[in-house]
Amino acid sequence: MLKRYDAQKEYIISAGIDIGTSTTKLVISRFSLMNMAGGTHMPRIEIIEKEVLYRSPIYRTPLLTASAIDIKGVERLVSEEYISAGIEPGDIKTGAVIITGETATKQNAEEMVHYLSDHAGDFLVATAGPDLEGIIAAKGSGAYELSRRTGITVANIDIGGGTANAAVYRSGRLCGTCTLHIGGRLIEFIDGKIKSISPPVQEILRQWGADLKVGDSRNHPIIGKLTDYMAEVIGRMLRKDLLKEDSPLLLGHDPNWIEEIDYIMFSGGISECLYHFESAESSPAQYDDIGKMLAKSLRNCRELAAFKWVEPDETVRATVLGAGTQTTEISGATIHAEAHELPIRNLPVYQIGFDNNLEKGLSRIQEAVKKSVEIYDPQQEGQNFALYLTNMPYLGFRDIQELSAVLIKSLQAKPKPEQPLVVVLESDHAKVLGQTLKTQQANQSYICIDQIKAEHGDYIDIGHLLQSNVVPVIIKTLTFHQ
Amino acid sequence: MNPELIEKVTRLVVEKLQSQQTSDDKGQEDSGGVKFWNHTSGPIKKTAKPAVEVIESEKQDKNGLIKINSHQHANIQSDKTNHEESKSYSEKKSIANPADPVELEALMSKTPARIGVGRAGTRPKTDTWLKFRFDHAAAVDAVYGDVNDELINRLGLFKVTTMVNEKEVYIRRPDYGRKLSEEAKKIILAQCQKDPVVQIILSDGLSSSAIEENAEDVYLSLQQSLNSLGLEMGTPFYIEKGRVAVMDEVGELLMPKVVVLLIGERPGLVSAESLSAYLCYEPRKGTIEADRMVISNIHKGGIPPAEAGAYLGTVIQKVIKYEASGVSLVKKEG
Repeated sequence: MLKRYDAQKEYIISAGIDIGTSTTKLVISRFSLMNMAGGTHMPRIEIIEKEVLYRSPIYRTPLLTASAIDIKGVERLVSEEYISAGIEPGDIKTGAVIITGETATKQNAEEMVHYLSDHAGDFLVATAGPDLEGIIAAKGSGAYELSRRTGITVANIDIGGGTANAAVYRSGRLCGTCTLHIGGRLIEFIDGKIKSISPPVQEILRQWGADLKVGDSRNHPIIGKLTDYMAEVIGRMLRKDLLKEDSPLLLGHDPNWIEEIDYIMFSGGISECLYHFESAESSPAQYDDIGKMLAKSLRNCRELAAFKWVEPDETVRATVLGAGTQTTEISGATIHAEAHELPIRNLPVYQIGFDNNLEKGLSRIQEAVKKSVEIYDPQQEGQNFALYLTNMPYLGFRDIQELSAVLIKSLQAKPKPEQPLVVVLESDHAKVLGQTLKTQQANQSYICIDQIKAEHGDYIDIGHLLQSNVVPVIIKTLTFHQ
Repeated sequence: MNPELIEKVTRLVVEKLQSQQTSDDKGQEDSGGVKFWNHTSGPIKKTAKPAVEVIESEKQDKNGLIKINSHQHANIQSDKTNHEESKSYSEKKSIANPADPVELEALMSKTPARIGVGRAGTRPKTDTWLKFRFDHAAAVDAVYGDVNDELINRLGLFKVTTMVNEKEVYIRRPDYGRKLSEEAKKIILAQCQKDPVVQIILSDGLSSSAIEENAEDVYLSLQQSLNSLGLEMGTPFYIEKGRVAVMDEVGELLMPKVVVLLIGERPGLVSAESLSAYLCYEPRKGTIEADRMVISNIHKGGIPPAEAGAYLGTVIQKVIKYEASGVSLVKKEG
């Protein structure tokens, strides 16, 4: 039998864990990696297949108090699910824990997500941030794929318990995001009476001069008006037409896309109320809140009826599937990575643009390293960072030598220069740069990876070196709601 | 097909076309023998002149060669400005009013092929056509050009020849390009270290521009890579007008473990400067092609030369570890 050159597959296990306002869920999937370049080319390793191995039931997010997550409870839940899936934490080579919605505002949210990423897998990444939630949900729901395939402009609106996260894609390109305080759990009931009203909703009620308080009947007519209003606000947000009175519901920035939206897709728990994809036994958690009413309001909203609605691939699991299957990227196959320094977590990315001019770029490096230290390590505690070199001109070998010398020199500005120097390149030069750095100064560790797209201010996590000589990389934001 | 028949049919077609023309152009076909390229150079002499020149320079290769060489020198001197100019040029040509400019841009960025160039009636626009002719000319130049001695000296190489003495022979007789001249064998034996682990050879092959543009970066980077991997390198040299299998003769003479041959690829219309690195474990007379391996497409728009050099080092390391290359290496790797 003739074998294709270098065509062996490699498998890695990925986990996704979503800790949301109302619910927590987990997926385990398996990625197949293969060299997709022809035998006469340098290898190009790609993820060619993603297979979901296990989906957990949908659990109620364990809380200690109204403002604190039960970290032990979540960990117990995760480890039980690993046993059901037949997976050891050590098997997990990539994936992400995402903390979403109102849960990200809890006092111990940051601690929670870092704790879980450290304990629940070999390389599991902590993520958070309203924009990222929207992006990951759009990838899990199928909205991203739909836009990529058809070229049309698709907005995915993931509505859970606490927030509605919109992400707009055209031709697979992210156009913008927006997050609103709209969700099922903003008003909760108990025994047919109102149990709690969240602060953004109280603000809206104040504007209306409406009298609705804890203890009122769940059939109070103002509640129906409120969910209708929320649906209208989503419609206005999609048209970038938010009114001043809507602002209490806006979380973070205004809608920042410029495109006109063609299709809309709903995912998240409220989407489940619309489409009912899940079987009853997979969702033991019961909710006593405005979720169903909100779904009904969305269905009947005239503002939203103007868009073409598309059913999502996933409803309540869109975010967890996105986190488990869509966050991992694979670096270029010719890189320089010193195995003993990996994995590296939560490195802020400092971008240095070369404007297609080597001298210009080189002159910026020294300054950039100083600035990175000021921004990311003001206490001089040794928070490392990654330098991301973009827009580089064509680099010959002598140019690489020059670049390498400047990089080594710039290390002196770091409080702990002995830390590994992490360089991320847009273009395919990582191996030669790593080799040159090592030749010029051997007693320093270097991680040089390429063919990764990031943005200034993103965070990067770099996993263990795989058999195919690539590293899994996760680019993310790490902002917790204030 | 019968060539006389083709000529007859062509003549009929041309005559018919001319009879349809309302202009008072006189038929050029009085002499009777229709030449295939004549229809471009025929009707109006002045505009057709560049085309005639191209054909001439192809035909009289000795005169053509001198011109081509001087053109290359000019190229090297004004490298940077040339690069920028050609970039702005390529940005200019496109469809005038695309329905979806963003999508078009995305599609065009995915391929170096001539897509989204617009059209004039059923034909390409003049700009596109000229660019096409320019790229074709660059390909011809690459085949017929010679590598600058200055580069060979700068890399500390010496130059030997194959049994080929001129390019026409090189193209007609691939077998000559696989054999070293007697003089070359003597020089190699006199100057080169015997039994090295890695023997690097450079050759222009079918593209002298490939060597001129990319060999230095690949070579220096490969050298560094071999050094850092602790692999001993023999005495590198340059073979003029060589073919890939010339490495077998070098293998016989110097008995290296691995030969790496950096050789210019047959130029195409996307790039005339693409370089290949052929590798073989203990190449000898009678080595079969399946035991050679290649990293191709090394040029500024393909695999970056410096990165290719760094990668080659690790491939060589693997070849030495398994004592095999090509298909045998894949088998041994399991």
